[in-house]
Amino acid sequence: MGRRQTATKAAPKEQDKSEALFNLYKDANEDSIGPEGVEHLCSDLKVDPSSRQVLLLAWKMEAQRMGFFSREEFSRGLRALNATTVDKLRKALPKLEEEVDSNPAAFSSFFTFAFKFCLTEPRQKIIDIETAVLMLSIAMPPSEPHLDPFISFLQSQKEYKAINLDQWTSFQRFAEEVKPDCSNFDESQAWPLLLDNYVEHVKKQQQENL
Amino acid sequence: MSSGKKKGFKIEPFKHPVKMDPSYGEKTWKVLEDAIHEINNHNASGLSFEELYRNAYNMVINKFGDRLYNGLVETETAHLRQIAAKVEAAQGEGFLKELKLRWEHHNKSMQMVRDILMYMDRIYVKHQNKAPVTQLGLDLWRDCVVRRRGIRDRMLGMLLDLIHRERTGDIVDRALLRAITTMLMDLGPSVYSEDFEQHFLLKTAEFYQVEAQEYLGSSTCSDYLRKAERRLAEETERTINYLDPSSEPKVTRVVEDELVKKQMRALVEMEESGLVPMLQQDKYEDLGRMYTLFRRVEGALDLMRSVLGDHVKETGRRLINDPERTKDPVDFVHKLLEEKDKYDRIIGAAFNSDKSFHNVLNTAFEHFLNLSPRAPEYISLFMDDQLRKALKGSNEDDVDATLDRVMMLFRYLQEKDVFEKYYKQHLAKRLLSGRAVSDEAERSLLVKLKTECGYQFTSKLESMFTDIKTSRDTMQDYKSIRRAAATSAASSADDTDIDLFVQVLTTGSWPTQTAAKCNLPRELERCCEEFKAFYLASHSGRKLSWQTNMGHADMKASFGEKRHELNVSTYQMVILLLFNEADSLSYRDILSATGIPPADLKRSLQSLACVKGKNVLRKEPMSKDIGESDVFIYNAGFHSKFYKVKIGTVSAQKETEPEKQETRQKVEEDRKPQIEAAVVRIMKARRVLDHNSIVAEVTRQLSARFLPNPTVIKKRIESLIEREFLERDPNDRKLYRYLA
Repeated sequence: MGRRQTATKAAPKEQDKSEALFNLYKDANEDSIGPEGVEHLCSDLKVDPSSRQVLLLAWKMEAQRMGFFSREEFSRGLRALNATTVDKLRKALPKLEEEVDSNPAAFSSFFTFAFKFCLTEPRQKIIDIETAVLMLSIAMPPSEPHLDPFISFLQSQKEYKAINLDQWTSFQRFAEEVKPDCSNFDESQAWPLLLDNYVEHVKKQQQENL
Repeated sequence: MSSGKKKGFKIEPFKHPVKMDPSYGEKTWKVLEDAIHEINNHNASGLSFEELYRNAYNMVINKFGDRLYNGLVETETAHLRQIAAKVEAAQGEGFLKELKLRWEHHNKSMQMVRDILMYMDRIYVKHQNKAPVTQLGLDLWRDCVVRRRGIRDRMLGMLLDLIHRERTGDIVDRALLRAITTMLMDLGPSVYSEDFEQHFLLKTAEFYQVEAQEYLGSSTCSDYLRKAERRLAEETERTINYLDPSSEPKVTRVVEDELVKKQMRALVEMEESGLVPMLQQDKYEDLGRMYTLFRRVEGALDLMRSVLGDHVKETGRRLINDPERTKDPVDFVHKLLEEKDKYDRIIGAAFNSDKSFHNVLNTAFEHFLNLSPRAPEYISLFMDDQLRKALKGSNEDDVDATLDRVMMLFRYLQEKDVFEKYYKQHLAKRLLSGRAVSDEAERSLLVKLKTECGYQFTSKLESMFTDIKTSRDTMQDYKSIRRAAATSAASSADDTDIDLFVQVLTTGSWPTQTAAKCNLPRELERCCEEFKAFYLASHSGRKLSWQTNMGHADMKASFGEKRHELNVSTYQMVILLLFNEADSLSYRDILSATGIPPADLKRSLQSLACVKGKNVLRKEPMSKDIGESDVFIYNAGFHSKFYKVKIGTVSAQKETEPEKQETRQKVEEDRKPQIEAAVVRIMKARRVLDHNSIVAEVTRQLSARFLPNPTVIKKRIESLIEREFLERDPNDRKLYRYLA
């Protein structure tokens, strides 16, 4: 409790404030905010813990473990958002969402983070379809036209039981480049097989609907 | 002369003033003109050549060359006009004859005129650049006679008519035709071409166009070809006889175009006699004729090749999809070989062993053979059959020749790794079936495979042979040791009724066997242990496991009075030995006592109880299939004509559907590391490469063994990305990078 970090002297005041905020939610037994603290923080921020904004916050903090924010992560996140109080943080989050949706590079970084965030075991490299679907619906903007068809495809197909990082990031590029009806999909570009199958699935459905 | 005055005195040579008669030119010309008239009228006998020559000479010398030359032109023109009128007046057939006659006369006359005017030709004509007399004569003849309106068309018409008549079978005056065409050629190649040849070629095209239609409507393809061949020969003969040789290639071209090129598709596709029916009926002669005719025109052989290729593919496809045909693999491969022989013979006999046709044939065979997923299995089964035959004393050379031919089919296989799997299985069965295998034939086939696919392909097969040989030696040692032991310990409570023969197989070289060891009878178990002790004593560190599903045994059995020797599999032996203790056992008893896997147990029981003449057991209830609740009873009433009874068959059989699936799966599994290795090899060398190039390169590298599916390659690449051997290029979607 008594340990104080004095590493950053440049802005001692802000540092103090974020420290205070951290201590407010900190877990009693650990030097980090635990699941309960996170839930507490979310309710103060008036957001759903499983919402996109919380994931965005975790991204800004570069959080390593799901449901935990370390002291370092927490202060990094607040600094990046230039927020020192719950109020400021609440206002910063919608802006952050806007920024991510308008800046492709930021979105790509966030989207990759979302995948890695789901890797809970050491040396784990893939996430199961169920988690992937859940994560997709949080990380992707709801306006993405490929989102729902892709999710329903993932749930109906039987070939893949899990998704790897390559497939995950490829889908993000795919959503960026390929039209909703997949008419500009170029097979000669080396898309992962999963996406080949998805396009086939979409085209088949198009034909059935004709 | 005038300059002489200035220089003073000068002696002038004596000059004889030549008085020239002013009318000299006209007078002399008159003499010559008269002479020319006489010549033209065939009255030259009274003329003096010497005098006329001198006259012409003098005229040229005295600068009357113009007068002389122009006079000649006028005289000849006038004369030829008269001649032309006479020719024109000739009626019907006589016309050409008259023309020919007048032409001959004209030539003769012109020759004489030329002789007289020789000096003019040499001096005047040369200096003035005019046509010499002979040429003049030809030009005048051309302009005044041949190209006269009333003659030109009539002559052409009659020529063409005569040729047409000859084409339709009449006999015509060839000498006359020859004379006229020679005349035209003498008048110059352009005259021959413009006034005759062009029209002739057009007419020829027209004629054969009509004829082609007639033939097509009335003849079979074979007749048509024969007629076309004859027509071509006729036209060649015609040119030789009475046309200029330069026309030969042209007219041949026209006939080829009309009779062959324009009709080739119609010919090839003729319903009952086209190329396909010819191929089906092995009509070497007709096919040969088609080949030689078609070779003459552009594109026709391509057409033949494509029709041949399609036909072979189609028949092949039908053969492969015919369930009757594929029932018996050996017969199926026989049929394939027959097909191949058939077409090889056709290409040899009719198509001049044309390489491009062989290529088409090979491509077609490769195409349809690989349509059949079972082809690798069947080819291996066929080889199995041949090798067994070799053993049964058929002529080894024959077997070898047949194997050579099968190797040809083998070459077409894209999935050589599947073949290897089956070949290994079948070889294992042959080697283990205990009967001596024809070593020579086996080895020779192995060498063939090695030549075709390299050392890697056969190394495991070779080690199988080595195992068998080593086992034989091991068994000899083992037996001599045991004999020694038996004689020394003469007590020999050890009733060595059992003659054990063990084959020690290297794991990995042989087809994988998952079958667990069954429970062996006590006596046998002891033998096994003894052998194990013996073997491990000399080969420490090895592990022996018993493959009881592969063995076989000879056992003596008595049925009432009769005794028989039964040749059975190890499983069957284990089952039968149970009946030493009991006369009747239920399926479940047998299962628990032996520990044989149920599928194998059922099969073994089936051949013991359900095959007529070999039913050493009886089954309750009587039925074809083995049920879990069945009961088996020792068949005391068993009898057979033979002392030795062979039960169950070990000869290789076509795989059942699930077995096939299993093999397929194994093959697919084996391919994964091979594809990955290829990808890594390529990427290690190239560092960065696009997807399609990788797929192409992998396919190329592995083509000797199998044809990898592009989707599978993609999957393997993705797996390599996941394992961080490769990564995608961040900018270019097509590229992969190698991660060292």
